[in-house]
Amino acid sequence: MKRQKYLLNKVAWSFFTILFVLVLNFLLFRVLPGDPARAGVRDPRMKQEAIEAIRIRFGLDKQVINCFESLNPIKVGSCTVNPFDTQFFIYVRNLLQGDMGISFHSNRPVAEILVERLGNTVLLIGAGQILAIMLGVAFGIIAAWKARTAIDYAALLSSLLAWSLPTFWLGIILLFWGSGHGLPIGGKATPGTSSLPFLQQWGDIARHMLLPTITYTIVYMGEYMLIMRSSLLDVLAEDYILTAKAKGLSTFQILKDHALKNAMLPLVTVIAINLGFTVAGALQIEAVFSWPGLGGAIYEAVVRRDFPVLQGAFLLIAVSVIIANLIADLTYSYLDPRVQSE
Amino acid sequence: MAVQTTELKPSVPSSPLLDFWRVFSRNRMALVGLVMLVAIFVGAVFASQLAPYDVTTSENITINDIYNPPSSTHWLGTDDAGKDVLSNFFFGARVSLIVGFFAAFISVVIGGVLGIVAGFYGGRVENLLMRFTDIMLVIPDLPLMVVIVALTKPSLLNIIFVIGLLGWTTTSRIVRSQTLAVKSRKFVLRARAIGAGNSHIIRHHILPLVMPLLVVNAILVISLAILDESTLSFLGLGDPTALSWGQMLNFAFGRGAMSAGAWWALVVPGFGIVWVVLSLTLLGHGLEQVLNPRLETHHLTPGRPVIRSEIPWRQETKKGEAPILLDVRDLSINYITEGKPPARAVEKVSFQLHEGELMGLVGESGCGKTTLMLALLRLLPAAGQIVGGGAYFTDKELTAMSEAEIADVRWKGISIIFQGAMNALNPVRTVSDQIAEAIIKHSPPIPRSQLDARVVELLDLVGIAAQHKDHYPHQYSGGMRQRAMIAMALACNPQVVIADEPTTALDVMIQAQILELLDNLRRKLGLSIIFVTHDLGVVAEMCDSVLVMYGGVTAEYGDVDTIYNAACHPYTQELLKAFPDLSNPEKRLASIPGYPPRLEALPAGCRFAPRCPAAFARCASEQPALHSLGEDHFASCHLVEASP
Amino acid sequence: MFAKKTVALFIALVMILSLVLSACGGGAKAQPVTLRIGWAGSPDTLNPGTAVLAEAWTIFELVYDSMYDLQLDGSYTLDLAESVKTSEDGLVWTYKIHDGIKFSDGQPLTADDVAFSYNFYAANTDFPYMNPYTAYFDKVEATSNNEVVITLTEAIPNIDYQLVFLYVLPKHIWEGVNPIEFENVEMIGSGPFKMVEYKQNEFVHLAANKDYFRIPPIIDEVIFQTFENQDALVQAIKTGQVDLITEMPNTAVATLRNEPNIAVVTGAPFAPEVTDIIFNQCTPGNCPLDAGGVCSGHPALQDRNVRLALAHATDKQKIIDLVLLGLGTPGLTLIPDGLGMWYNSSLKDYEFNIPLANQILDEVGYKDANGDGIRDMPDGSHPLTFRLNWPSDSINAPRTAELLSETWGQIGVSLQMQAVDPDALTAQCCPAFDFDIMIWGWGSDPDPNLLLGVMTTDQIPTGSSETGYSNPAYDTLYNQQATELDKDQRIAIVWQMQQIVHDDVVYIIPFYPQATQAYRTDRFTGWITDKPKVALEDVTSLVVVKPVK
Repeated sequence: MKRQKYLLNKVAWSFFTILFVLVLNFLLFRVLPGDPARAGVRDPRMKQEAIEAIRIRFGLDKQVINCFESLNPIKVGSCTVNPFDTQFFIYVRNLLQGDMGISFHSNRPVAEILVERLGNTVLLIGAGQILAIMLGVAFGIIAAWKARTAIDYAALLSSLLAWSLPTFWLGIILLFWGSGHGLPIGGKATPGTSSLPFLQQWGDIARHMLLPTITYTIVYMGEYMLIMRSSLLDVLAEDYILTAKAKGLSTFQILKDHALKNAMLPLVTVIAINLGFTVAGALQIEAVFSWPGLGGAIYEAVVRRDFPVLQGAFLLIAVSVIIANLIADLTYSYLDPRVQSE
Repeated sequence: MAVQTTELKPSVPSSPLLDFWRVFSRNRMALVGLVMLVAIFVGAVFASQLAPYDVTTSENITINDIYNPPSSTHWLGTDDAGKDVLSNFFFGARVSLIVGFFAAFISVVIGGVLGIVAGFYGGRVENLLMRFTDIMLVIPDLPLMVVIVALTKPSLLNIIFVIGLLGWTTTSRIVRSQTLAVKSRKFVLRARAIGAGNSHIIRHHILPLVMPLLVVNAILVISLAILDESTLSFLGLGDPTALSWGQMLNFAFGRGAMSAGAWWALVVPGFGIVWVVLSLTLLGHGLEQVLNPRLETHHLTPGRPVIRSEIPWRQETKKGEAPILLDVRDLSINYITEGKPPARAVEKVSFQLHEGELMGLVGESGCGKTTLMLALLRLLPAAGQIVGGGAYFTDKELTAMSEAEIADVRWKGISIIFQGAMNALNPVRTVSDQIAEAIIKHSPPIPRSQLDARVVELLDLVGIAAQHKDHYPHQYSGGMRQRAMIAMALACNPQVVIADEPTTALDVMIQAQILELLDNLRRKLGLSIIFVTHDLGVVAEMCDSVLVMYGGVTAEYGDVDTIYNAACHPYTQELLKAFPDLSNPEKRLASIPGYPPRLEALPAGCRFAPRCPAAFARCASEQPALHSLGEDHFASCHLVEASP
Repeated sequence: MFAKKTVALFIALVMILSLVLSACGGGAKAQPVTLRIGWAGSPDTLNPGTAVLAEAWTIFELVYDSMYDLQLDGSYTLDLAESVKTSEDGLVWTYKIHDGIKFSDGQPLTADDVAFSYNFYAANTDFPYMNPYTAYFDKVEATSNNEVVITLTEAIPNIDYQLVFLYVLPKHIWEGVNPIEFENVEMIGSGPFKMVEYKQNEFVHLAANKDYFRIPPIIDEVIFQTFENQDALVQAIKTGQVDLITEMPNTAVATLRNEPNIAVVTGAPFAPEVTDIIFNQCTPGNCPLDAGGVCSGHPALQDRNVRLALAHATDKQKIIDLVLLGLGTPGLTLIPDGLGMWYNSSLKDYEFNIPLANQILDEVGYKDANGDGIRDMPDGSHPLTFRLNWPSDSINAPRTAELLSETWGQIGVSLQMQAVDPDALTAQCCPAFDFDIMIWGWGSDPDPNLLLGVMTTDQIPTGSSETGYSNPAYDTLYNQQATELDKDQRIAIVWQMQQIVHDDVVYIIPFYPQATQAYRTDRFTGWITDKPKVALEDVTSLVVVKPVK
């Protein structure tokens, strides 16, 4: 019962956070300076009517929300206008229907563009994170086990170094090196390979994924290693480890049956909290390696002033992180029997 | 007789700052980080002097100066505008550092204020603030920063504010927890009691204690801010009129450095960022270690080798006595710490445990009891080392065994019931699992059902109902946990059980239950028990023999009646005097003045001399040997020697 | 105004009638001959009505036909039409379409399709770029299977320019679709190439239309691959991943020139570009308050002498050297040199001469009143401190700004430099006129009409005029050239207009950037590189290149 209440609490809270992000997202883009209808279309050929048509098409002619006609500059408007006819409500209603608007740049539905790209980001992040976790945990265990020896210091130093590297810079350096050694300079696949058989196609994709994944892994491996090490050090200093040793268990048995599960728990939390960072990393890596993912979508949307895409991508990323956090919380609660209530 | 107390004279004058510096400088990581940081600071501050070229003018620059590789005229080459990279590096340091520090300052101030307010005032305010912090924590930073900066002006001030306004979340959480911890400390309550106002308390009590953690966190925030600025600038959202390292990278990457093969334009600014962030990371990491020193050794750290002295002779069992299970002779144990003399935790302690005997091991905290017991099973922490003497278990020499051999003896031959059973049991595994584990380790494979049955049997032995077997330790009460520990200790039918202060953390009623249980089990299963305690009353009731330790040495050793009725060592006598006697309720409670000796700086003579009411001149200069006072009665005191 | 990355559209269909190369190495090949082109952009959509990006127009040029083709030297030739007749008053144009033209789905292209397309473009007022080309259309009808009659509302000198971008769409596909939302993924057209596959921001895969009514391409396929940035393009051609790149960072030119098997071509871009320094000289009398004019420009900029002094203090060659690595030509007026005959090459530019600039300002009374090194207005009211802005997505503008700041500093002018979000910059610029000086740029149409119009008084309230310049004499000439039917006369008028604005120092044009492209010499040959403009991805080259043996 208690656990159910805990879970319900977490879910409700996540839901509330998503609502907050929705509103934040809406406000951010209404407070922007400049006229989105003219985004990137400063051209004498474009007649006033065309600009007006764009404005109407994107719903920018309506009042922002009750009492406010626009937010930048703040212009007070009618408080009694039909709330369903305000930009805010239309925005919410469209979102609920899965409609994130139309891209200024490509005239395609934003949702369609983003969903395509979401998969690519998940692929890249997934591979990178799994490798980072595996390697980070492995090195963290070794470092903690061999604490204060040369192995530990080496691992510690290299982790701190990896953590200090700016993600995009590591990407650039690897790209520079890799491009001189026959690795692809960017993108997800060589064009024309979509008609190739499955294995060949994915072999090509794997070649493209190599450098970005390595970049990803190096950056996050360092952090996970540090967390695992410190967590395991804490755990190994606990009394129950002494009890286990007193029971005659071997080092390996102690690590496997007593230390790891306990030490992994903070790691789960960190992975969850880190999801914000992993997304930030994805943004940088996708920008440098031209990976067609969600982070790249944000970057391109910024460059092109494609506000619907930018708004949609930001929302999608934020919501993904919130949901991933929720999943991590729930996972944690299943792993740690001590968790019963908030 | 005058009591001469030997006091440790400090050899250097100490002030808190100097002490801090001493510890700090010993932490190599922090030192390296600090040096690196100072170096780059100097570079930034003295940029005008250090930079070989004036980067504000293009007067002498021509088209041939663009992307020149490193040479004698330009040590680090030139960039896309033909300007010297090394010079830009120094000036770039200024911008990067300024943005980083100011942004971090804003974050830390906001986070600190929010954290203290939340932690201090609690209630709704805390709830609201923490919920808000949680939301901001979840929203991904970089995309939000990108969006905001993209929608506003790409100016330096703007970037500082955006980074600053989004970077406070970790700070507020940490400050809040620390404030909570400090708030309930006694001195705060005391300050309140005498009427101190909130702001006074915050300023004078909370803030100083929150500061160290805040500083460590601030260092982390600075490094993050610098990384954020460089990322934003690289993505083209920075201020192109302020050439930070990130902006240098933006220009290089966007103006064809890669195609020109101009690796120097890419490597150098990035190197700067790495240098600063690494220095801050090392500094922060090191500071954290200084403030929260963690031993960084743990229970799996390989132990130190035993220094074997001449093999002590084994005592033969006397006729008519039960066989000797444990024979400890002149066992000495030191704790080694770097840069300090070894702490002589146990020195030349001897005792014998016969089959079926219950020996009480008595002494103050820190007198070496637990160390002695751990040493028997070679469970000493990494700093501990057996430096003399030996111990036998039946016919096996414990002090000569390898790790594999002693693992066999552990639990099966000798088991331990630890004190403070909350942490002695693994909180994420069920109790039955942990008991079963011991059985599995030391017996040939048995089917699961039999295993379960045995676990239930053991739990029943200690009075825990079978329905609790698959529960977790936190679901047990304190008394139940201790009983579960006992059950676990008996799982492999050991011959000797060491009970290390098994009742210390429990209330009196439960204590009595546990003791009774132990006693019953002993009789039922024919166990031999070493009962470590500082409670003389218990010893009197249950034990057959008593070993009194003080300052790591045997004070007195003998059977219980002798000790209680004919104690010879002044310490034992004082202990007995200090113990309240129900039969004589009006007797004044005595206590032993003074403190136990510091093991790294032991007095030259008898360890008890500084506090001994009967001490005389010889006591301060010469350590007394262990004198035999008759049948199995020993005491280490000069006074004893005098008497027959 | 077009920032380089966003707008810009000019493409032209160029069909070379007389170039027939023998197809050596033809015959049944097991592998299709595929030409790979790398670029750093991607079409925004395949719908010609709504597209705004240059890359989309490149594809349209390859997949569709229109009435005329724009050649690489700026002239027009008939494409779909085999002949044209004009009425006496110049209002009625009759085009005779070739016979036997087919769309890629096998359907014939008839006058019906032409008329449908033109009316389609005219009817949809929210087609941002197409609609204006039909501004003068009164009526368009197909009078027979192969005859189209266009009736104009007034006689204009450049109907070829109006029609060259109006791609002929298949009526049977486009009739009844939602003009804005139709994605046109299949792109059924009649051009020399047809659509195979399109993935936005990844690639465009075209196949040769071997049934093309003119000479079909020699190669079998063309794939345009999108790379995120120009460095990737350079690497791609070095490693042979692509055979041609349409752009590269100027710093790569030297590197690529050193590579065996790679040739670098530089010249005027197909869509000539102008980088301009814009002076806000809108007078209070002309301030378009109704349209939201703020008109906060520095008063000194309304004084021609100040602008003249600044022009003399601008070292254009140095800017070209350091910002473009020499790959640009010094600018004169908004009309770029790539427009060939329209460009007034006789104008003499203001030379870089700091002492002269100082002298000018001294003589007119802009002295440093308070000794802070910055000149002040003659009445001492304002210092000559100007706000200098540029769009934050331009990587070259900051470098240009730095150089300006240096040399202008030597004549006692100080700058407050700030990169601004392009959107916000638009809002600041026009018709708000809330700035002092801006660095921005244009991409030019093949016809100078639009750029000339930017400097007219009429365009001040519409947002097209960036400077607020108002000169009735210029306005008159503008209206004249818009309807002058005699080509030489029109050129003379356009030249005169350029003289006027150059004399008035309405802008300072630092340079016209050049285009740089590179191709692999060991893959394909036959590239058209001897024209004033460089556009190897244009139809001109793509239909004639063939693999190297």
